[in-house]
Amino acid sequence: MKLGPRFPEEVTREERELLERRAARLRDKPRVAGEESVLWAAEFPVGEDSYALPLESLRAAVPLKMVTPVPLSPPHVIGILRFQGQILTAMSLSSLLGGRGWREDPAVLLVVDPGLGGRLLALDCERIPKPVPLPHALVEEARARSTGAVAEVTLAGLHQVNLLDLGRLMDRRASEKRDA
Amino acid sequence: MLDPMMEQLLPGFVDECKEIAERVTDHLIELEKAHEQSRFDDLARGLHTLKGSAATLGLSELSELAHRMEDAVLPLRGRSAALPGAVTDALLKTLDTWMAHLRATTAKSELPDLRPSHKLLEAVRHAVQAVEPGKAAANNGKAVAEKEKKSSKREREARAARAEPATAEPTAEEEAVPGEEAGSWRVRTREVVSLLHEVERLREVRLRLEERRRELERGLSQLARLGILAQTAEVRALLMGVQRALSADGEEAGDIVASMEDELKAICTLPVRTVLEPLRRSVRDLCKQSGKLARLSIVGGEVSLDRRVLESLRGPLVHLVRNAVDHGLELPDVREARGKHREGIVVVRVEQQGNMLFIEVSDDGNGLDLALIKQSARDLSIVPGAELDAMTPPQLHQLIFRNGFSTRRTVTEISGRGVGMDVVRSQIQALQGHIEVHSTPGQGSRFTLTLPAELGSSPVLVVRCGEHELGVPMSAVETSLLARSGELRVARTRVQLSHREHLITVQDLGTLLGLRQPEVPHDGQPLLVLQSQGRRVALAVDEVIGDRELVIRPLPPEVRDLAAYQGAATLARGELVLIVRPDWLSGFEKRDASLTGTRRALVVDDSLTARALHRTALESAGYSVHTASSGRQALEQLRHSSYDVLVSDIGMDEMDGFELTLEARRSHELEAMPIILVSARDSDADRQRGASCGADGFLSKKDCASGRLIAEVQAVIARRQGVA
Repeated sequence: MKLGPRFPEEVTREERELLERRAARLRDKPRVAGEESVLWAAEFPVGEDSYALPLESLRAAVPLKMVTPVPLSPPHVIGILRFQGQILTAMSLSSLLGGRGWREDPAVLLVVDPGLGGRLLALDCERIPKPVPLPHALVEEARARSTGAVAEVTLAGLHQVNLLDLGRLMDRRASEKRDA
Repeated sequence: MLDPMMEQLLPGFVDECKEIAERVTDHLIELEKAHEQSRFDDLARGLHTLKGSAATLGLSELSELAHRMEDAVLPLRGRSAALPGAVTDALLKTLDTWMAHLRATTAKSELPDLRPSHKLLEAVRHAVQAVEPGKAAANNGKAVAEKEKKSSKREREARAARAEPATAEPTAEEEAVPGEEAGSWRVRTREVVSLLHEVERLREVRLRLEERRRELERGLSQLARLGILAQTAEVRALLMGVQRALSADGEEAGDIVASMEDELKAICTLPVRTVLEPLRRSVRDLCKQSGKLARLSIVGGEVSLDRRVLESLRGPLVHLVRNAVDHGLELPDVREARGKHREGIVVVRVEQQGNMLFIEVSDDGNGLDLALIKQSARDLSIVPGAELDAMTPPQLHQLIFRNGFSTRRTVTEISGRGVGMDVVRSQIQALQGHIEVHSTPGQGSRFTLTLPAELGSSPVLVVRCGEHELGVPMSAVETSLLARSGELRVARTRVQLSHREHLITVQDLGTLLGLRQPEVPHDGQPLLVLQSQGRRVALAVDEVIGDRELVIRPLPPEVRDLAAYQGAATLARGELVLIVRPDWLSGFEKRDASLTGTRRALVVDDSLTARALHRTALESAGYSVHTASSGRQALEQLRHSSYDVLVSDIGMDEMDGFELTLEARRSHELEAMPIILVSARDSDADRQRGASCGADGFLSKKDCASGRLIAEVQAVIARRQGVA
């Protein structure tokens, strides 16, 4: 039996064509200037700055709700939540980065895999990130310059994206905890 | 070199030999105390099986050594006396070498030398012959032949089965599934573990079904209360049908989950005695070395545990039991002088409550020597002297878990290396568990291990404290009652409840959790009388929501170190509830959670992240911070506590920041309190309205993001102080 796409009966022909055009666009390989090698990242604002995570580390973006606050926890811990049967810690990204706040209250939690043996974490975010291609050459250059959890990637037009290394960010937090 | 086919059989053979060796060890220890013919026979059968099985696999050296063990012990058959200590020692040592040789063969590592074992057994055989002349030779030949006959059919079949694959034609089934034996499958551990997690999820779904049914029931009663029975008759009939169906589905789901759990338990678990029984040998050996007398008593050895947990528990349990004998128990003469029985007792008690496992290792010895702990900590520079002098006994007890800590001046075979309790604690923590120590000088010590078990649910009482819902394990709840001022004794530093002719310290849950300042329970406020670790406390909460059957899961690592919580469980709507640890609640006779000496701030915001960020900023500037998620809740907190500054969001659903400011300014006590309003919008209209309501400062979230919160807080406090 061949399985084809199913449309609800009330979808009009125009709507169906529109959906098909969108699907075709999504299937197309994203065009990148000069077809250079790129790292796909999820870009989002933190305060006035632009930050990004490698897209491969992003597992989901979920609404910031159903988070249970944990009294007596460190200030950067927003609480705990349930995600696909696991209990995750939701953390304030701005606080982890040593920042002081958001421009608007975060409404989204990014579920990320920081490379801690498959254990996931949730980070708050003002809005759903957008995928951006970062040229590999620039990323490597920025990583070589960086000694911390953030690599500053300068794109064309001097637009700067702070690429996060979640593993390092969590290591730093863990070592601060140990020192404390 | 082993035949490759035989080599494949080695891992299974090791498991089988391990079981036999454990049984033989147990028999040897008991026979050393008193003769029992049936034990002796089983001991002989065990040694004979080791010999025969090793020979079948071509392990001639091991077969020969097992034969020598038989030679040493069989001449003693029929004696009514206990097994001589020298024979027991020699056989136990040889058995250890035998197993080590077998493991090394499997691992293809360096083989231990068997010659010392042969010599030892030979010496024992001569000694036995001298005592039992004539019997030895007869027994050597006859008994083996006799035992050969008696060897159970099952053992012969097992040996045959191990030998058969070399010659027998494999069946189609065996060819299709490598590693599969008749009637059994080999399944990867992770596949079983994954199945286990799915069953856990299914159990949660089943609990949610029950909650949905209750919600439906509540809805139906509300309809009845509204007095619109006639108009809603049809809908109610439909809903009642759904309720009945949900109830039946819930029960069926419950049966399925229970049955799946039972099946999985059979696959994944082993009785805890498999780890505990071999400890009898350790206790015996230690007693021999140290000249002490000890008896190991095991309670709850039949409790079945996850095999992985059991394997990880082996090390910590061995350590705790050895410590109990080595450090805890006194020498027989000393015990006698103290009015105790010459033989000390070490008890290992295992209990599973819901999906929590409790293991207690206790002894009736000397208890932890506080003076020695102090001296050792000083000598080893583990804690500065001044700090040591100020430590309470429970704090000193905790020092034994520090890395490198030891009270032994010299390194012995048993202890003194300073490697031990810290490793035990980290191993228990790796199992997402917790270890506690209690000790009474002269009476003994008790170590309690609390671990999550994979399966099962626990009864939990869900309570509310401010905006937080929290769970208290029902096992700790003695009773619940409503506070009455006549039953409370209020002193300057603490409040006590007069309950059944006892005075119990009252603790406010919100204060313990750092959510609010201490307050005396008001008339009608719910109090839970909790009992844990022999201590009682009356816990003041804001509301008792009800009891639930919940699956308690460990917290994620980022918050697992918090001593306040045992774990978290999922409520019906999918949200998590934190389960507080009863011993943490009852463990503080007096906990001063007031914020004396530091500046206090109350942050009011309906956004969790905004509260977290303001708290981070204010705490880093030295403020102690309480939080509230609405204006109304903030007013409630302001009624009981005083703060140096209030930072409030404007846009909140239930009473916004403007209303909160107006309400605060209407109160005489709050009219001079600095208030800063924070808004997502940076509008002049909001600024002006805030000022007209009585706010001292105004910041946009953008201002906060650029780090202006602390400067503004300091500025408004300074302005207020200037005015005052």
